[in-house]
Amino acid sequence: MSKLQVQPVARKVTAISWLPPRAGTAYTDTDLYFVTGSGAKHKELVLWTTPNPDFAQSEPDSTNDLATVVSKVPHNGDVQGIIALSPGLLATASSTGIISVYNVGTESGSMEFGESVTAHKFSNGEVAGATSLAVQPTGALDVEVASCGEDGRIAFTALSRLKESQGYDVDSTVITDLCWTTPTQLAITTRGGQIKIFDRRMPSEILAAFANSQSSQALESIAVHPSQPFRLATGTAGGSVLVWDIRDMRQPIIEELTVHEANVWQVRFDPADSTRVISCSEDASIAVTQWATEGRGAVALGVAPPERGVRRLSSMFNALSINCFDVCPSTRTHLLVAGSDSGNLLMEKTVNPDFKLF
Amino acid sequence: MQNRHTATDRFVVSRDKEAATHLSPGLFPAGRQSEWSAQNRTLIFSIHPLSNKTALAVGGKKTRESLSNDTLTFDQDQRVHICGISTESDSRLAFINDTHAVFVALQQLMEEAGADDSTASAVGIKGLVKMSVLYREAMQRQSRVLADIADPNEFIKEEAETFRAIHAVWHLLEIIYLTTNTPGLSTSIVPHFMEWLNANFLAPLAEDAHRIAGGSPTADDLARNELLWPYLKKLALRGHVSVLGNMLERLAPSQLLSASAARWARSLSQLCRKMPLSSSDETAGSFNSRWRQWNEELRGHATAIGCLLGDAGEKDGGAGGDKDKALEALFAISEVMRGDLDAIAAEGEMWQDIMGATLLYSEPTARADRLPALVGAIIEQFEESAFTELDRALVALLNHDLAEFLVHCDHIDHWLSAHISDLMDHISVLDICRRVFVVDPREHYLMALGESYLGHEDLWRVGLDYLGLCRTVAGALVMEEYVTRIPLDSDRKAEQVLRVCEVYTLECARDRIHRQLGRQKWQRGRLGAAIAHFAQVCDHDSIGLICDQIWNAYISSGELTYGPTIDGVMASSSLSEGSGSLLHHEGLQFLSKYRDFHELYAAGAFVEAGKVLLSILLCEIAPAYALGDLLVDSIPLLEGDTLVFSSEDTFELMRVAESLAQSQMRQSQQDGAIDCSEMNIFNVACTRNLARSFVMF
Repeated sequence: MSKLQVQPVARKVTAISWLPPRAGTAYTDTDLYFVTGSGAKHKELVLWTTPNPDFAQSEPDSTNDLATVVSKVPHNGDVQGIIALSPGLLATASSTGIISVYNVGTESGSMEFGESVTAHKFSNGEVAGATSLAVQPTGALDVEVASCGEDGRIAFTALSRLKESQGYDVDSTVITDLCWTTPTQLAITTRGGQIKIFDRRMPSEILAAFANSQSSQALESIAVHPSQPFRLATGTAGGSVLVWDIRDMRQPIIEELTVHEANVWQVRFDPADSTRVISCSEDASIAVTQWATEGRGAVALGVAPPERGVRRLSSMFNALSINCFDVCPSTRTHLLVAGSDSGNLLMEKTVNPDFKLF
Repeated sequence: MQNRHTATDRFVVSRDKEAATHLSPGLFPAGRQSEWSAQNRTLIFSIHPLSNKTALAVGGKKTRESLSNDTLTFDQDQRVHICGISTESDSRLAFINDTHAVFVALQQLMEEAGADDSTASAVGIKGLVKMSVLYREAMQRQSRVLADIADPNEFIKEEAETFRAIHAVWHLLEIIYLTTNTPGLSTSIVPHFMEWLNANFLAPLAEDAHRIAGGSPTADDLARNELLWPYLKKLALRGHVSVLGNMLERLAPSQLLSASAARWARSLSQLCRKMPLSSSDETAGSFNSRWRQWNEELRGHATAIGCLLGDAGEKDGGAGGDKDKALEALFAISEVMRGDLDAIAAEGEMWQDIMGATLLYSEPTARADRLPALVGAIIEQFEESAFTELDRALVALLNHDLAEFLVHCDHIDHWLSAHISDLMDHISVLDICRRVFVVDPREHYLMALGESYLGHEDLWRVGLDYLGLCRTVAGALVMEEYVTRIPLDSDRKAEQVLRVCEVYTLECARDRIHRQLGRQKWQRGRLGAAIAHFAQVCDHDSIGLICDQIWNAYISSGELTYGPTIDGVMASSSLSEGSGSLLHHEGLQFLSKYRDFHELYAAGAFVEAGKVLLSILLCEIAPAYALGDLLVDSIPLLEGDTLVFSSEDTFELMRVAESLAQSQMRQSQQDGAIDCSEMNIFNVACTRNLARSFVMF
């Protein structure tokens, strides 16, 4: 079990996201920025900076902080999700069902509230918590953000027309997470243990719905493979990570990886090596799991398949749930930050020997 | 009372060490209580059952009816003030989370070491020492955080003092019960005690030596420095003999010292360097021999300096005070170092200093069991009334009076009493004092600490762990009561609370939370989610009521829109063992099959649709009030071009119709009854279908 570096921040960290590098400075930034969202007593967004480990002159002093606060801004409700839309813009999902937009200035060290819209409500008028959000991967200037919530609805919010949010009732339980598999298609996971696929152009109709027939458990999180839109990873309430191949919509192929002991709150394919799935859990650990399927192709090419295994990351000083994590996409060093209910920022820096820029 | 709730205010509540709390600013203007009372005003309050909040309002002492009309009313009285009594400062959050992690790891360590007998011997003292050091590191981090706060207020200063006390107590307990018990190490407590003394109480620092020596470049300057001799005495008391030796050597060439004082300073400096130090590879006998030799030499020095002082006093009658002062100081230092108790008592300001010097110079091989006798003799010289809680706790610990020790620890801080009683339990010393308490002290202090965290939004999970890990029936009961009262603000928090129930096997609480969540979802119109929660606890009645609601919505709207609800439920039905029975719930099966019937009918699969409809009737899963509608639904199939129902099927339909008619006759109420004309049509359709079936088969 590898150790995570810990920095106490005295608030529950519920969401985290690296800011993408500014144009022209990608891969040469000496300072990296990320944003954390917290909940419970301290409902706020915090902008942090940390030195780029690729340019570190010497081993960092263990007594130094992992990251330093640049600015803070209060948030309406617990922060349930953060998406960095650009280096200067981010969107958040709130436990009060609100989707908000914030402007970030890393040079000026500022973060300001832009505008917001209530996207999720129950039929009796009570606010419904938004559980996640994802930005449509179109590359267009006017991006659209999809969010899901405890009201069983998915909402589409174009940033230029925030007040015209469109909502669709698509599930009778809670939608726990969503992701865009293609620019026109998105997938959701439900507390009922289903994956549902929708087409943005017909959002009220379910294209397909899958459930794990072997051991159907509530699904907590979902992520799509960076280059294979038919391959999904989901985290379950029981602690498993499922890797789905949904090319055959009638009978998807599921690979179950038992890596955690409790709810898997977030799952992602490793951006540096998509044969690995990273997941964080209520059991206070992060798991980096090598899933085997992609290795079969490597055998055909005469390359040794990657060894299947799990690398667990945890800390002696973090006993409670790790709620969220994000991997910095622009550094040679594999830089992972995570946030927990123990009020800690957790970080792991590992040099990735396979990383090549060109 | 309604118009009181026009606004809420937030007050700052200052909390002192005693239980009293004071509002600041107060609702009562200071010194005007009698005026308020005369105006029929008093304070009323209500405490929130779970959180640390209190609602406060100005209330009337008499009812409005009993007052005359001209009684004054005040606008500011139309308010309810919500006061949050913060028992935990946010400045402690990191410390609480850190030590909670160590606490959980310690419990796991002990559990893994031996499920039956989790004793120190099973785990090994080294494991416990490691955990204890982790606790102390967390305390030191917190002390540094508090020290780094610029412009600290009174509360921060108090906190810093509390953490210094916590560390001192913990460190001493670690030395007495863990460090000196480590196998392979010398069991003498003296070097550890001196380390504890210098780490926790202001010690002569190397910087002080540099400051004194640096400000005095020559030996004469050094001899003139007024801080020199008190500092050297402090060095001797705290056992910093090598620094003392260096300082004396530097001082010796001074022309301001008499020849004899300079000579003895040089000699004492050499003796300081020769002081024997015990090591683990040396036998006690060998060390004692070396010590006796050194001590004898020192005694000779002290005697000689004493004689010189006596002679000088006789000759000069007090003249040449400066030189005598140096000799006197050298005499005092040598007396301290040879272990003269009177000299040590005369030089030591704190009882801890005297204790340390006595141990170091008088009993250098003393073990922990020698401490009670020593501390008893030393504290007699001090006024106990001037002792702080820290002093009392330390004295009790040195006396091995663990019951009193725990009580004083609790006075210092609740965190300390809870964690130290837990550690004492793991090293099996708590049993010594268990009988003194009415309840188990570990359980009591851990529960008290856990309860204090429950009202905090960030610490409720930490609090539950303390309740759960005190591993007693009372803890489990309290936990079961609390866990059902935690506000379920979000789906994720509900999942986390349910996970706590699973970890600590709180079956009843789990069931209550599922029911609570089911009702919450039902109120919010999330029928699928509500059914899923009720299914977890096999609440068939509630599921039946929801099914009825779904059916009634269908009947009133005529639109079959409950498909997604049923699908969601069917997918979630196998989430756990407890919900396996959900699929067998008649109401859900009926709705599911009825939806299938309509889908097949709409797709033109009349035969399959007929089979589904017949199976609903034969399995008797349909509620009685839906039977009429089902029979009506069968009419198009009976009258269609395709023969859907065989003669046996038709007889079954007629049997259902007959039993329905009989039950309607028995019951006067007409709810769910089918129209007579529709019944007649059904009968005719059945007759025709029967005739056709006889011909066809």
